[in-house]
Amino acid sequence: MALNKTTSGGRWRIRPDGPEKVTGKLAYLTDMSRDGMLVGRVLRSPHPHAGIVSIHTEKAKRIPGVHAVITHADIPGMNRFGIVNPDQPVLCEDRVRYIGDAVAAVAAETPEIAAQALESIEVEYVVLPVVDDPVKAQTKQAPKLHPGGNVLHRNQYGYGEVTSGFAGCTHIVEETYLTPRQMHTYMETEGGLFIPEEGGRLTVYSPTQHGYKDRMQLARILGLPEFNIRVVSSPIGGSFGGKDELNVQPYGALLALVTGRPVKIHNSRWESVRAGLKRHPMRIAMKTGVDDSGRILAHQVSIVADTGAYATLGAEVLNFAIEHVTGPYRYDSVEVEGVSVYTNNGVSGEFRGFGGNQAIFALEGQMDRLAEKLGQDPWEFRLMNMRKPEDPGPLGQTIVRTDGAMQVWKSLAGSSMWLDRQDRITDNPWLRKGTGAAFVMHGSGLGFGIPDPAGGMLALAEDGKIEAIFGYEEFGQGLIATLELMLIEQFGFGTEDIRIVIGDTDLVPHSGSSTASRATSMMWKSLQKLRGPFLDRMLDEASKLLSLPTESLRVGTGGIWNRSGEHLLLTYGQLAQGVQEEIRFQTHFPFPASPTKRIGAHYLYTYSAVAVEVEVNVLTGRVKVLKQYHAVAAGPVMNPQGFLGQIEGGSGMAVGFALSEDSVMDSGVYLTRNLDTYMIPTYTDLNGEIEVHAIEDLPEDDEHGPRGVGEIGSVGVAPAIAAAVYHATGKRISKLPIDPESLQEVPDFLVKAVSRP
Amino acid sequence: MINRSLAERRSDKVIECDINGQPISLDVPPTRRLLTILRDDLQMTGTKVSCEIGRCGACMVLVDGQQVNSCLTMAYQCEGKKITTIEGLSQAEIDPIQQCFLEEGGYQCGYCTPGMIISVKALLSHNPEPSTEDIEEALSGNLCRCTGYGGIVRSVQKAVQLRRDSS
Repeated sequence: MALNKTTSGGRWRIRPDGPEKVTGKLAYLTDMSRDGMLVGRVLRSPHPHAGIVSIHTEKAKRIPGVHAVITHADIPGMNRFGIVNPDQPVLCEDRVRYIGDAVAAVAAETPEIAAQALESIEVEYVVLPVVDDPVKAQTKQAPKLHPGGNVLHRNQYGYGEVTSGFAGCTHIVEETYLTPRQMHTYMETEGGLFIPEEGGRLTVYSPTQHGYKDRMQLARILGLPEFNIRVVSSPIGGSFGGKDELNVQPYGALLALVTGRPVKIHNSRWESVRAGLKRHPMRIAMKTGVDDSGRILAHQVSIVADTGAYATLGAEVLNFAIEHVTGPYRYDSVEVEGVSVYTNNGVSGEFRGFGGNQAIFALEGQMDRLAEKLGQDPWEFRLMNMRKPEDPGPLGQTIVRTDGAMQVWKSLAGSSMWLDRQDRITDNPWLRKGTGAAFVMHGSGLGFGIPDPAGGMLALAEDGKIEAIFGYEEFGQGLIATLELMLIEQFGFGTEDIRIVIGDTDLVPHSGSSTASRATSMMWKSLQKLRGPFLDRMLDEASKLLSLPTESLRVGTGGIWNRSGEHLLLTYGQLAQGVQEEIRFQTHFPFPASPTKRIGAHYLYTYSAVAVEVEVNVLTGRVKVLKQYHAVAAGPVMNPQGFLGQIEGGSGMAVGFALSEDSVMDSGVYLTRNLDTYMIPTYTDLNGEIEVHAIEDLPEDDEHGPRGVGEIGSVGVAPAIAAAVYHATGKRISKLPIDPESLQEVPDFLVKAVSRP
Repeated sequence: MINRSLAERRSDKVIECDINGQPISLDVPPTRRLLTILRDDLQMTGTKVSCEIGRCGACMVLVDGQQVNSCLTMAYQCEGKKITTIEGLSQAEIDPIQQCFLEEGGYQCGYCTPGMIISVKALLSHNPEPSTEDIEEALSGNLCRCTGYGGIVRSVQKAVQLRRDSS
């Protein structure tokens, strides 16, 4: 059944954060201000690669209204950041490695004075040769960007013997796939307010996907105990992975501590573009062969990822890509190798899909090409090579068994969009229609061997509100709404009874990050663990206060009711006032990990099948997505509006990835500096039909509940578009975004007109 | 919430306009951007800042009923104008367009939402029966990164339907 407002019935609810969002009343962290606050700005390198000879800040400091000018010499703690591998200078000492590298920061009374101060800082650079090609970066001649050289990370996986595998193949497809430097393009650029508090504490109001991780990194930089820092991190105007790493926080924090005044920083779009993360451009070479029946005998993959100047999660993204270049298929032999390479091309990092987008675009391209060589239907070809439920995961690891692959395959195979796909003819000879499909499995959680804590807390507050307290973040995905609906449906509370507390390290427990499609699963699991003890204790206390047996009571809207639900006996407020000891329960556990000891290997997978119908205008070369069909097997739907929104929104980003988005660089310098040249999809690009089918069935003994859907909508669309374009035009796509010029044709009627004698 | 002390400062270059039904005098340089006046001077942060080149529509407001990017509007251009921001749409009660966005889930992070709703308001005020092309044109200057526009398409369709039903 299609997932939409009608089919969702009463489960389709107005989000608790909705009224403030549609009326403009919600104060985002970048909307905040304080009396006496200063404006913070960062001086960034004008060169993609240079040595720093000297930095002089005296002139800038003398400008009236300038309260601080700081450089690397002013950092009390560690002058480095990076979630896993801290190799990025907060403020560069002797060298800059990309066009956004920070060299100094100022705090001033107005934006104009701050801008003047930046211009007055004198930095002498010696320009160095730019490393802008991740393949050339690995040669001996290339300048070394880091002490260990230009390779951030190398990894491989394989089984069987591909050489002999290829020898037995009837058909072999070799192709190299190229993917763009996609930008997250959250509408709210990075920023925040930084307030020095009494007693040497610091409050940081700045978006992030993991408040405690920011607190840890900031403590390291500031040389402060973590407890001295409070990180308030929600609500957020979009992130998609882009605000997971530190961005403006170190500068705001340092300037606030140096000046003793509140400091606000809010990046301009251009500063966001030059300083911020991007999706790793990848070059993925694949060679895949089949026997004459279509069985895949050998699959050989080589990945080169451009990680830019610093590590952030570049190694983890590469590991994820290596895991996802084999997909939901069986092979006789596999050989995958990958390398993530430092260059002076900005910084690549974490981004929704996390390397899966690139990997799956390449893999599904292979599947389509092989099916064609065999003369087989591309979807039937996938069925023949599909993994079995009991098969190990893509890295040979034990994974949680579901029937997701077959469920989504069948859903798409039976869809009218797929069954009716033969009709390519349109009324206009320059418009061609085509339909294509892609088949996806995508891991959630951080993977084996990476600390991946989860948990949360439930409490009955003094005012009678039931507080659900989690260290997760709301960046638009609807986490608050999902949590609210789970509390209503699984506990029986009313909307008015609930208070949700998130995004504040002074209040929330360690729940791990809001990344990797993990938060909904972990909230569900936390509530499963907390439900029994929390409700039992409430009923026990109510039983004492009412002098009634617990068996005669139940929890409901507004308070404790008699068993049959006719009478409200005790409000939650009365219960809270009556208890001797606070009712508060906390749970803490790790995200489920595979017993197979392979770093980064995933245990829980979501499956998806995607079909798209496109219209290609062969005069302009432009592709328009007319229809989409998404079958998603992710367990029970916790929040239908959120689920639909994640698939639609993820898909929209993927349409941009496929058709229009690329942060174009020339020798390490961004040419696309704002949204007039960096083209994200508009209303007109995405107002086609989209049908989402959520397949909720899980095996009876499954104990993991809802799987993540934050990323799955964004990984299968690009290969489906490429297949649809081929169906429409007969042209194979191996490079994204699709170049319109490559699809332009001189139509028949023009040829005739010109060639008439 | 309008900062009166700022608004009441007088000079010979003072700019008189109306913001959300309140007359206001702005003692600011004539080239100061309306976006800065709203967000920084008047603390009306419902109007958002994002690209600052008139491409994304996060800062959209109504000037005499027309949708305008406040990042491209200077103070002198507001002289004698009636300006409506997102805060002005729901002064007495929530605007039916806002209600449609709530019910259809036409937002996620919400950062583009005020500008998006302002553009829909401008469209439906002038054209109660817009064609698909009219809607595409009216919203061509508003970017959303979260929703893939699915919820926005449904919200606008519902707002059009609602207007039709109530007329």
